Amino acid sequence: MTELRAGRTGEPLGIARDEARSQRPRYLDVLIGLAAFGVLAVLPLFFGSKALLDFVIRCSAFGLFATSLNLLVGYTGMISFGHGMFFGLGAYGFGLIMQRTGVPVPVAFVATLVITTIIATVIGAICVRLKEIYFAFVTLAFQMLIHSTILSWASLTGGDQGLRGGIPRPVFLGIDLSNHVHLYVTSCALLVIGLLLMRQIAQSPFGYTLRMIRDNANRASFIGIDVWRARLTIFVLAALFASTGGIVMALFVSGAYPEFAYWTISGEGIFINMLGGVTTFLGPMVGTVLLLILNDTVTRLTEYYGIVLGIVILFFAIGLRKGLMDFVVEWYGQRRDGAGERG
Amino acid sequence: MLEIRGLSKSFGGVKATDNVTLDFADGSLTSVIGPNGAGKSTFFNLITGALKPDSGQILLNGVDMAGRSPPDIVRYGIGRAFQVASIFPSLTVHETMLAAVCADQRRASVLHRRFPLLETRDRAEHAMELLGLAGKRNRTAATLSHGDQKLLDIALALVLEPKVLLLDEPTAGMGTEERWRMIDKVRELWETQKITVVFIEHDMDIVFKIAPAIVVLCYGRILATGTPEAIRRNEAVIKAYLGTEHHAEAAI
Amino acid sequence: MDLDALTGCLASPACLVTQTTSGFIIGMLLFLVAVGLTLIFGVLKVVNFSHGAFYMFGAYFAMTAYQLSGSFALAVFCGAAGTALLGLIFERVFMSRVYGADVLMQLLVCYAFVLIFDDVVRMVWGPEFRSMGMPAAFQVAPLFIAGGVVPPYYLLLIGVALVAAVILGLGLARTRLGKVIRAAAHNPGMVSALGINTGLIYGGVFALGGMLAGLGGALAAPVRSLTPGMGFSVLIESFIVTVIGGMGSILGALIGALLIGMIRSFGSLGFPLFTEGLMYLFMVIVLVIRPTGLFGKEVV
Repeated sequence: MTELRAGRTGEPLGIARDEARSQRPRYLDVLIGLAAFGVLAVLPLFFGSKALLDFVIRCSAFGLFATSLNLLVGYTGMISFGHGMFFGLGAYGFGLIMQRTGVPVPVAFVATLVITTIIATVIGAICVRLKEIYFAFVTLAFQMLIHSTILSWASLTGGDQGLRGGIPRPVFLGIDLSNHVHLYVTSCALLVIGLLLMRQIAQSPFGYTLRMIRDNANRASFIGIDVWRARLTIFVLAALFASTGGIVMALFVSGAYPEFAYWTISGEGIFINMLGGVTTFLGPMVGTVLLLILNDTVTRLTEYYGIVLGIVILFFAIGLRKGLMDFVVEWYGQRRDGAGERG
Repeated sequence: MLEIRGLSKSFGGVKATDNVTLDFADGSLTSVIGPNGAGKSTFFNLITGALKPDSGQILLNGVDMAGRSPPDIVRYGIGRAFQVASIFPSLTVHETMLAAVCADQRRASVLHRRFPLLETRDRAEHAMELLGLAGKRNRTAATLSHGDQKLLDIALALVLEPKVLLLDEPTAGMGTEERWRMIDKVRELWETQKITVVFIEHDMDIVFKIAPAIVVLCYGRILATGTPEAIRRNEAVIKAYLGTEHHAEAAI
Repeated sequence: MDLDALTGCLASPACLVTQTTSGFIIGMLLFLVAVGLTLIFGVLKVVNFSHGAFYMFGAYFAMTAYQLSGSFALAVFCGAAGTALLGLIFERVFMSRVYGADVLMQLLVCYAFVLIFDDVVRMVWGPEFRSMGMPAAFQVAPLFIAGGVVPPYYLLLIGVALVAAVILGLGLARTRLGKVIRAAAHNPGMVSALGINTGLIYGGVFALGGMLAGLGGALAAPVRSLTPGMGFSVLIESFIVTVIGGMGSILGALIGALLIGMIRSFGSLGFPLFTEGLMYLFMVIVLVIRPTGLFGKEVV
């Protein structure tokens, strides 16, 4: 980072402003991440509520998943309707490895990510050359393929009953994931690390390659970018973070269920992105919190959850026509521009 | 040196490019003209890899480009701009340039550093200066005027420091005055950058005034090549243009 | 996996007939849903993710109409007409607001309605499984063809669906309205320039698509159990059908639907637990070989 800052000194004002639009130095992101982690980590000291900690753990799982989906949808313009398969894959992969082999947690974690990489590469290689709606369908088909595999391979996965009997979590490095607070802090750490890594991807040169592909894939290939390879790379990277979300979920419920791999998870992921907005990095995170709050409130109040959720979606899709964060950013931008013109 | 040897491409029996053989010397400026449907854009698409030729060779300094992918061909040094400005609407001018240089330096998949890379800065700056876009560096591409978008498109090709630059109707959709400004820019770039420039142009005034060499395409074939003087007197060319909308312009 | 059952069936004419008939009815029902989906995509370039709901409503409307009137013909009519109306309203009031918005918004509006419609059905008809029962006219002894059992109702179902397919195909190819619809699919601006109300066309296409899916649901009501959410599995299969056949192609929808019907029917013998997986696998294979589907036009 030092070279960047060094480069900036003495540059004309225009460049500095430009940098402000697109870039915040990396150390600042890390600082913000650490601060957020700090706040989350001390939360249990002040609020003993298990429900609150549970809520944050679920936010971590879905937040990782939704933000990784935004790397595809928002940054690259690839609308995947099957991203949930990697969430399910993470949950089942991790759960199965822990149940069957008894390796330490970190080993199972890494092994799950390796498996995800392999499967995502194969599926991605088939999917990413397809355009828009075909890409959405084929990813959806793969999602359903994995879902039906889970259902039918009952001897391994427990079929429609899911992975039961709990996931063993031997203590490692003094971390005991059977302890609720330990699990909570670990989830928060995974979330913060995951978000920082994804932020880095989004702000790297590769992140700008993705934006170019989203804007105009044809032009990108005419400045020497291998579009297929870039798409495949982000497909696999996004799968890794979704898988991590699935691992957090498996740890949380101490099991894995076919619903984790069902298409509705992908549908919710898309919805979360929409709710929060796809033009800001943290939009999906905001969307996750909103959806989970909505979810918990509505299910407490009525059994007709679908109607309420549906109306909320319609409000965003037809009313605002954009996500909450998109809306806020745009509104803020207009206000600032307006003030600038007057001043 | 760009040498085209027996290049052919047909679509369902229609020969869009028919056994074209041409040389473009290093540092030359050539205009490709021809009536609508003459196969000018197809010719460009074949050279840049957007279309795969049925037969023939495209030799850039002796290396055959035929059948290679667009990114590959770009890396060998053939850049192009499009008839309809092909840009990245949501990126600013500056970001566009920086990202393009990044791609050219084979750093488009760098993950561990932050955009923009310091080493891309000078070239991006240079290209913006050349095209007169430096003052609009923070404008989002989508908000630029039509003419500036065309310039940005050309800048995108030029920033890659190509050996050969193909411009598909750089003046398309512009008013008379703007056309001349654009074509002066093209000529200036050609003179200062010492690269091979080939451009498609409809306006005969511009062609005859600017281009030292002209290639006339008609139904996918080469009808004539030569200096403006020679082309002006060429019987076949006059006949081909007779009765078309360009006749009036050509006669001026 | 039970490959013996599959090879055994392929060797026996009776089993072949039974399985083929069952493949046909699965296929024809899918066709009725898929053809609307493909038509709507062809003309409006919208992927109607809530299309399964029309199938579901068709079935429920038919059940209620049958219980009230006792007439199966009226039940089928109500199923088709009711969903046609529903399709029209859905398009005019909601979908027409998100044309031109990105695909994401369109998918989301549809997703919202998948959720809403399922809950509406739960509210009105209850969450439990319902069944309409075989209409009295068809409670007769099944036919035996080469030893295979074929209920007469299956023949009616296949026949009605085929007639619908033929009328639709001819209508689009021969009538003025059909030509306008096809023109609208090609070039919406052109059609409105000719003074034809594209809104009307779009609404009409949605109504037509809804009606066909509703017809499918109504015809399925006697042989399937009715449940909220029944539309979704049909929707997913219809997607597979349209993607295999090629989005926008009616012939493709027919062929794709029959292929999937046969895969389901025979696959349930050979791979009883992996029948669904087999469909997805087939779709993946088709797409790998031909990304635009068997009858889809090359997207430029």
